[in-house]
Amino acid sequence: MNAWYHEASVMTRSWGVDHPLVLALGLLALLPLFANVFIRNGIPAIAAFPPDPLSRVLGGGLRLVSALAILALVAGLAGLHRRAQTVLREGTGAHLVLLLDRSSSMDNSFADRAPSGDEQSKSSAAKHLLGEFVAGRPHDRIGVAAFSTSPMPVLPLTDHHDVVQAAIAAIDRPGLAFTDVGRGLALALSSFADDTAEASRAVLLVSDGAALIDRRVQDALRDAVTRTPVHLYWLFLRSRGAKSIFDVPPPGEDTPQANPERHLHLFLQSFGVPYRAFEATSPQAVAQAIAEINRQETRPLTYSERIPRHDVARPAFAVAALCIFLILLAKLAERPLRRTGFAREATRPPQAAPVIARDGQRRAA
Amino acid sequence: MTLLARLLRDWRLTLTAGALLATLAALAAPQIVQQREARDLLLVVDVTGSMNVRDMDGRSRLAAAKEAAQALLAALPCQSRLGLGIFTERRTFLLFEPAEVCENFAAIDGAIDGLDWRMAWEGDSYVARGVHSALAIASSLDADLVFMTDGHEAPPLAAGTMPPFDGEPGRTEGVLVGIGGTEPVPIPKYNEDGRETGFYAESDVPQENRMGPPPEDAPTRAGWNPRNAPWGDEVAGGTEHLSSMKAEHLQSLASQTGLAFVPLEGPIALSTAVTQNTRPRLVEVAVDTAPLPAAAALGLLSILFAAAALTSRRPERLPA
Repeated sequence: MNAWYHEASVMTRSWGVDHPLVLALGLLALLPLFANVFIRNGIPAIAAFPPDPLSRVLGGGLRLVSALAILALVAGLAGLHRRAQTVLREGTGAHLVLLLDRSSSMDNSFADRAPSGDEQSKSSAAKHLLGEFVAGRPHDRIGVAAFSTSPMPVLPLTDHHDVVQAAIAAIDRPGLAFTDVGRGLALALSSFADDTAEASRAVLLVSDGAALIDRRVQDALRDAVTRTPVHLYWLFLRSRGAKSIFDVPPPGEDTPQANPERHLHLFLQSFGVPYRAFEATSPQAVAQAIAEINRQETRPLTYSERIPRHDVARPAFAVAALCIFLILLAKLAERPLRRTGFAREATRPPQAAPVIARDGQRRAA
Repeated sequence: MTLLARLLRDWRLTLTAGALLATLAALAAPQIVQQREARDLLLVVDVTGSMNVRDMDGRSRLAAAKEAAQALLAALPCQSRLGLGIFTERRTFLLFEPAEVCENFAAIDGAIDGLDWRMAWEGDSYVARGVHSALAIASSLDADLVFMTDGHEAPPLAAGTMPPFDGEPGRTEGVLVGIGGTEPVPIPKYNEDGRETGFYAESDVPQENRMGPPPEDAPTRAGWNPRNAPWGDEVAGGTEHLSSMKAEHLQSLASQTGLAFVPLEGPIALSTAVTQNTRPRLVEVAVDTAPLPAAAALGLLSILFAAAALTSRRPERLPA
């Protein structure tokens, strides 16, 4: 019983029909058990015929072929198909969460003013380059999260990059007020909570600034990174006049309040997971940093590739056509029992003349 | 006897040949291209505090909105596109642009599931302005709008007048979906850790909008002073701390912006309303015509064997 159920579940996992109710018509396949396509011929006694195993086999075969023709037509009508499958393949890539800053400062250019002429805003530079980055990594599973005043989950990890591109396309819309990086990071890390795959996991933080991270959020982040080790990349879009995250300010000025970006950098370094920060001061520098991340995140990855559903309605109709052709051949090979005129005339009274006439025609054929 | 004569005289042969022809026709049947209506939608969900009210059969309005949105997503035909935004404060924030619904179903479904009141960046809820900005975004995306809200303005509209709409009414079509019950009920209150701590009291929320010029009846109020107390000197009282679906307000907002207003009743009613009030985009889908001749073939075979079974029964007595 269990084995049957298992077999059936394997079948239905890989095969399916569009209209299951149509399958009930499969009962019609019982009809050929009760009938065949040949003209009924009355014979006086079964003993008059010698046993003929070949005819029996052919007769049984024709019944089977007839039933198969009906079943094949029903299967084709029900829309039998092999379901879309996912196969696991080996490739290179990563499970990646894009954590995007949607604060309003991203709407400014790298010179930190409203973009004019052919200047690009930071968000639109990031949009184009991230779009290309995602397009160049077909095997990645990508999730998107955004943060500003509050963290916002945008997309769960997905293989479908159309919707990821749609989310990236939305980042040059006007942003919100603040930059709550800490809770944004916590959200990005939580995206991996259900991700049990043995893949390289990475968070790519794209922001143009940082803010103080609450002590409690810091602790929560350390916990989260310990639980789900990730690779961290920070693409810091530095505006003109902002301090570099790599410069050490003079003693006494090196406080998180004065240099939140530098202290976020130090904080991320302190996690003890692979971490790289890129400081980009122009769209070209962003492109270089993204190329570097692309190069780094090329670890082996087992990714699933989808094989689309495969309809077998046409092959089913072809089988039906072949079966019906065989039936037709058998039918064309049919010859009526040769009835000798003598036997007929001897058993029939003379008024049955029209019948004889018809039989005569048949013989003539 | 010629084949034709046999075909004419022996119905079994006729039916078999007919079934073969029909099956061959099914094999050769072309795919015809049919036009189907797909939709491009921008779905905006209100995530303000009043959406936490649990008056949708015990569930919160936001939970009901998410469920309705997921049902709408499932009901959209393939090649439709759906984008997602959230509304709070005074504008709509686009999470992602419209993306094809069938290919990206799991991701979009997961994104709708991930909507949460904690995504709100401000406590204010200027619903009318949120709808106006959602319309601007939808029109820039060339999509129609489905805006799910309870219509609770917080703070209340200044002097009860609707903010002016800059856009062109009716340029973007769509539906305002009203979510919530008709009875005013208290709004749950959350602390900064996101834990529920009770309900908003009358004094917790602004009962009157005191931005801009005072209303015309202000001089009749107690303690009115044009400079020191232009709204009178009494604390405004009211029922703004209770929330119900503001059908009247949403109706007038809908007529101002050329949208349709539909209270959320059920998932099927919602997708019907969306279909009726959004612009279709004709897409081409290939339809297989093979089932028609195949069904004919199956019919012919069934008739053949059924009739053969009936006529080939051994007679009660031999023919005389």
